[in-house]
Amino acid sequence: MNTLVEQINEDLSAIVARAQAGLVQIRNGHLGAGAGAVWHPDGLIVTNAHVVRLRRPAIVLADGRTIPARLLAVDTDNDLAALEVEEHGLPSVSLGASRQVRPGQWVVAIGHPWGVQGAATVGVVIGQGNDLPGVSAGRREILAVSLHLRPGHSGGVVVDESGRVVGINTMMAGPDVGLAVPVDVAKRFVKRALGSRAPTSN
Amino acid sequence: MSGALKSLSDALAGAVESLGPGVLRVEARRRLPASGVVWPGDGLVVTADHAVEFDEEISLGLPDGRSVGATLVGRDPTTDLALLKAEAKLSAPAWKGTQDLRVGHLVLALGRPGRTVQATLGIVSALGEAWHSPGGGQVDRFLQTDVTMAPGFSGGALVSAEGEILGLNTSGLLRGLSMALPTPTIERVVAGLTAHGRIRRGYLGIGAQSVHLPEALAARLGQPLGQLLLSVEPGGPADKAGLLLGDVIVAFDGAPVQRMDDLVALLTSERVGQPARIRLIRAGAEEERTIIVGERPRAEARP
Repeated sequence: MNTLVEQINEDLSAIVARAQAGLVQIRNGHLGAGAGAVWHPDGLIVTNAHVVRLRRPAIVLADGRTIPARLLAVDTDNDLAALEVEEHGLPSVSLGASRQVRPGQWVVAIGHPWGVQGAATVGVVIGQGNDLPGVSAGRREILAVSLHLRPGHSGGVVVDESGRVVGINTMMAGPDVGLAVPVDVAKRFVKRALGSRAPTSN
Repeated sequence: MSGALKSLSDALAGAVESLGPGVLRVEARRRLPASGVVWPGDGLVVTADHAVEFDEEISLGLPDGRSVGATLVGRDPTTDLALLKAEAKLSAPAWKGTQDLRVGHLVLALGRPGRTVQATLGIVSALGEAWHSPGGGQVDRFLQTDVTMAPGFSGGALVSAEGEILGLNTSGLLRGLSMALPTPTIERVVAGLTAHGRIRRGYLGIGAQSVHLPEALAARLGQPLGQLLLSVEPGGPADKAGLLLGDVIVAFDGAPVQRMDDLVALLTSERVGQPARIRLIRAGAEEERTIIVGERPRAEARP
């Protein structure tokens, strides 16, 4: 019994640590801050469009250094943005496939809620699609999760029970339903935005 | 990574996958659709009464994407349960009792307000004895969870982590709380609705309020309160039994009556048409009358 709970705790802390290593903070001066994830060691960062208020926001890396970033592309319909930093060998997150996500599956959201660095919160997948009644905004593809997203979570990651990114934290729909952009939508965005420069999916 | 979390996650998602086909979309109100669960029987579906606003033109969304019509067999607002009959053959999932359940156990809520099945996770928050809802509905077990009732989840299934259906979720039974109707309650209410189209409630034809009894009387009876009659419906059961304005009811068939809830709880469907002894205080003296319990008219909220 205790062993099982211990094992689950170990697994949880391992996936949180793994995701935290690839997480950055995005600062827009006095316009606020949010989270982002390193998708490629050579400096590609993906976040929410609403998190990026400046064309050249400052990025605080997981190792604590603050460096400038350049906005590469924005998709306001899907609330996505891609940034670039002049870095190599950055720890990056590992990407999953949101089409394989199942309702009831365990997920962890990681971001900087209220400025708390790398805070984790757990829940399950409620469902996904572009027609979730009472939840979907417009006809946009979303991943609904039963966890509480707070200011500062935006642009952070939703990872599955293996620590792979399945969504990008975006907003709440009502008091108890968190919404994320499915990672497959973000992958298409990155591919479109960067064309041949897009990193091969890992 | 030990794989324990992966196994747990797979078990939960597996439970949703195996029971999801038994959870349907119920379109019987404006705005948001609700959920319903297939009940053993010829096309029967149980759902939350408060989610059924129309008596007609109800439709059900099936897992394969089809929509089929359904008729309302009956409803019981006191337990917030409505019984529908689909114009299609449906296969029912296995319903299970709640005897093995403990506070702290993981549970899933399943709903289908849209095309696909949806799920939230929580734990059993409280388990108790049989109780009566504010409307006087008999529920076999107090079963409260902390599952998130996402939009349209009322009428959906409460599922154990082992993948068994334990009851029906509703946020309409106790406002703001995720309560579940346990399987035995659904069984009983479905039987009543199938037989009569409604759940009968006992009726006395009175209006009453709690009053303090004189100290000596309270001490002798062992109860501080009784029910003072403020109105007696002419020709109603209480009137026929000779009850008068100003009488104070202190017991019903041997059970003490202090609050209106006590009476409501005692006036169960089996009482309808049956005699019962009423102990009352009139002009300071105890008396006893025999009353034939009536059936509460549908529109009437009082006992």
